[in-house]
Amino acid sequence: MRHRTFALLVSLLLLGLADSAPAQTFVFGAQGEPVQLDPAVITDGISSRITRQIYDSLVKYKGATTEVEPALAEKWEVSADGKVWTFHLRKNVKFHDGNPLDATSVLWNFERWWKSAHSQHENQVKAGQTFEYWEAQFGGFDDKSIVEKVEAVGSHTVRITLKAPQAPFLANLAMFVFDIASPKAVEKWGTEFGKHPVGTGAFKFVEWKPNQEVILEANPDYWGVKPKVKRVVLRNIKDNSQRLVALKAGEIHGMEGLNPDDVKVVRSDPNLQILLRPTNTTGYIAFNYKVKEFQDKRVRLAFAHAINKRAIVDALYGGTGLVASQFQPPSLWGYNKELKDFEWSPAKAQALLKQAGFAQGLSEITWEDGKREPLVFWYMSRSRPYFPNPKEIGEAMAADLAKAGIKVQLQTAEWAVYLDKRKNGQLPVYMLGWTGDNGDPDNFICYFFCSPGAPREGFYSNKPLADLLLRAQSLTRQAERARLYRQAEQMLQEDVGRLFIANNQPPLAFSKKVKGYVTNPTGSEHFNTVEVQ
Amino acid sequence: MGRYAVRRSLTIIPVLLGVSVLVFSFIHLIPGDPALTMLGERATPEKVEEVRRHLGLDRPIPEQYLIYLGKIVRGDLGISIVRGDPVLTDLLRRFPATVELATAAIFLALLFGIPIGIVSAVWRNSLVDSFSRVWALAGVSMPIFWLGLMLAWFFGVQLRWLPTGFRLDTGTAFEPWTNFVILDAALQGNWAVLRDALRHLILPAVALATIPLAVIARMTRASMLEVLSQEYIRTAEAKGLPQAAVILRHALRNALLPVLTVVGLQVGHLLAGAILTETIFSWPGIGLWVYESIESRDYAIVQGASLFIAVIFVVVNLVTDVLYAAIDPRIKYD
Repeated sequence: MRHRTFALLVSLLLLGLADSAPAQTFVFGAQGEPVQLDPAVITDGISSRITRQIYDSLVKYKGATTEVEPALAEKWEVSADGKVWTFHLRKNVKFHDGNPLDATSVLWNFERWWKSAHSQHENQVKAGQTFEYWEAQFGGFDDKSIVEKVEAVGSHTVRITLKAPQAPFLANLAMFVFDIASPKAVEKWGTEFGKHPVGTGAFKFVEWKPNQEVILEANPDYWGVKPKVKRVVLRNIKDNSQRLVALKAGEIHGMEGLNPDDVKVVRSDPNLQILLRPTNTTGYIAFNYKVKEFQDKRVRLAFAHAINKRAIVDALYGGTGLVASQFQPPSLWGYNKELKDFEWSPAKAQALLKQAGFAQGLSEITWEDGKREPLVFWYMSRSRPYFPNPKEIGEAMAADLAKAGIKVQLQTAEWAVYLDKRKNGQLPVYMLGWTGDNGDPDNFICYFFCSPGAPREGFYSNKPLADLLLRAQSLTRQAERARLYRQAEQMLQEDVGRLFIANNQPPLAFSKKVKGYVTNPTGSEHFNTVEVQ
Repeated sequence: MGRYAVRRSLTIIPVLLGVSVLVFSFIHLIPGDPALTMLGERATPEKVEEVRRHLGLDRPIPEQYLIYLGKIVRGDLGISIVRGDPVLTDLLRRFPATVELATAAIFLALLFGIPIGIVSAVWRNSLVDSFSRVWALAGVSMPIFWLGLMLAWFFGVQLRWLPTGFRLDTGTAFEPWTNFVILDAALQGNWAVLRDALRHLILPAVALATIPLAVIARMTRASMLEVLSQEYIRTAEAKGLPQAAVILRHALRNALLPVLTVVGLQVGHLLAGAILTETIFSWPGIGLWVYESIESRDYAIVQGASLFIAVIFVVVNLVTDVLYAAIDPRIKYD
């Protein structure tokens, strides 16, 4: 044994990993250390990238879309009133610890997420962990939740009754947080389960070396597409440039978190390829409606005509950005294809300003309480997928605005302060954005526009829009909902309620040897289809 | 000498108390509500309140400090906010990686820094001297981040001689005993792992050694020049001693005293430099851990690690001073 290990190591040393890495292993460069591997309590992409390989949910996102298809549940029915969902589980599925997946184990998982008195819920909360996404997607815990009851009505049939229909119900269930864990394993490890994850997924957990890597191995009994590699290693490489160096050196096969400037570098390397994740993120400029000038639609429209989005996207998104005409990105089924974007025209912007009484341009604002101050445009201090270079993008927009006679002062603050000020409605005009959780338009648009007058949304109030969105939320037929979301986008645009600047398609880089990696807008990507040639 | 050591040791108590106040204040000095910072865009007011309570931020500040001090005295550095693990346990697990890297770096810095300094001083204003002075200046001003990337790119991507990060190749089966991988591999007689570990160590150690090497070279040069102009050196030369003996036996020994202090101070720079070097080379030590924790706003870890690093710095400097006194009997506490 020792000789074999020795021989293997020597050959690794001699040949370098690039040439010798057995195609049986897929090494992925992760952006950092996972928080933990219990899907129910995590919220970050680094951890969920790993848990998605180990666990399955009842339903999953189909390929590169946000449409939902069967997973652990092979089929389901919903009652006419949209409140009772019956899921028929796949038979002969086993957790990695050998225990069978059945209705009881699914019921157990739901109760753990939902009931605060459940022993494995209570101990997590005591340890400082919360079931944050359950609370967010299903209205809260215990009686507060939209879930009325969950029952095992047969060995492989689960019935979930809701208090009211919830349109994004299936999309919610496909989220990584609602992956089904082995009840026996959770009970065995308690709050340490996140270090000893057990699911039904395509890969089994092998080892987690802190600050280094997580190792998984193929589950030969997987119910779905059998994994094409024997092992998956997720290496933690914090720095974006260094991760690319490791990819170029052949030490890893794929990575995410590419600097916008490096996209070109990867594209020009004959050994590498770029895959774009369908966009699920939108950057915007929000107005504060306590500022008198912004209460005038002509002023908002002047902003819309002044900013040259195309130039910003071309110059500052590394070729992976898209011009946004509306809030929802094109990958969402509520996207309005008919909607035309504002034309870029500084002359039009100037004319509008003139009409609004600012013939000399706009450089000062008046708050509702009469306080006057210079017009400050706030840009983010932290890079986000929707604004990968917030400072440069802010500067470009300020330059565009200046050409139309709107003179802004650029300002930023430490991220926490920025969010704090935004939450309290203290920023006159600012950059921010959103990345969707579950591919449902409700998750994108309702969060912002369903509560009119909220300080965090700059006191924007559009009651008809909010009513429309709430109606869309209560329906279950997708076609009907899609129509309402398209209408909502149009209303938002007609009112120039907010300016949507760009969507981004986060780039992933791979060695050309990698085939079969399917990107998904939600970032839920399964490695079982990945081959390394 | 004994009295000096005791009195010098006592001075670190107020220093450490000051450090504890500073480290404690971090969380209050950073702009913005720490709870909100941690929760990000999606924070609800209830959640923010909950986190504030969890962190004890709802209590009066002096009370928070006393609770904090009480805990650190008992060796409790708190619990990681993000992961829920005890900070001290994680710290001790990661520390060997940093020590290994810092030791290799200081070894390289001394191995090359001192000879370069000597050569420069002896052949002052020669080509060698000019070259080494420019080189030392460049070394001091080199951004480690950039240097690390360039080293990884050149030796990892272009030449493919050395790995671009980590302590071992991926999937290497090795059970360390103490987490000092090189030591463990040597003790276990696992030469393949030892070789692998050494290959991984080279680039980060070179990157981390750059600044201390330059500083040590400059200090050795300056100190040697001063000593070489002393009368006893002229006497030694006049006695007809060979130049090598004069330089190495008479001059160097005295010239090295100030260098020793600089080495002590460099330990602080090494630990600070380790944050960048470890991040660049994915080296799983304290530096990378602190960097990740700053990003994820895990204040408990940032506080615990800062305190730990400060204690090490203070202790190393104490040891240096005491050593200094041991070497030079003229030093005492007045």
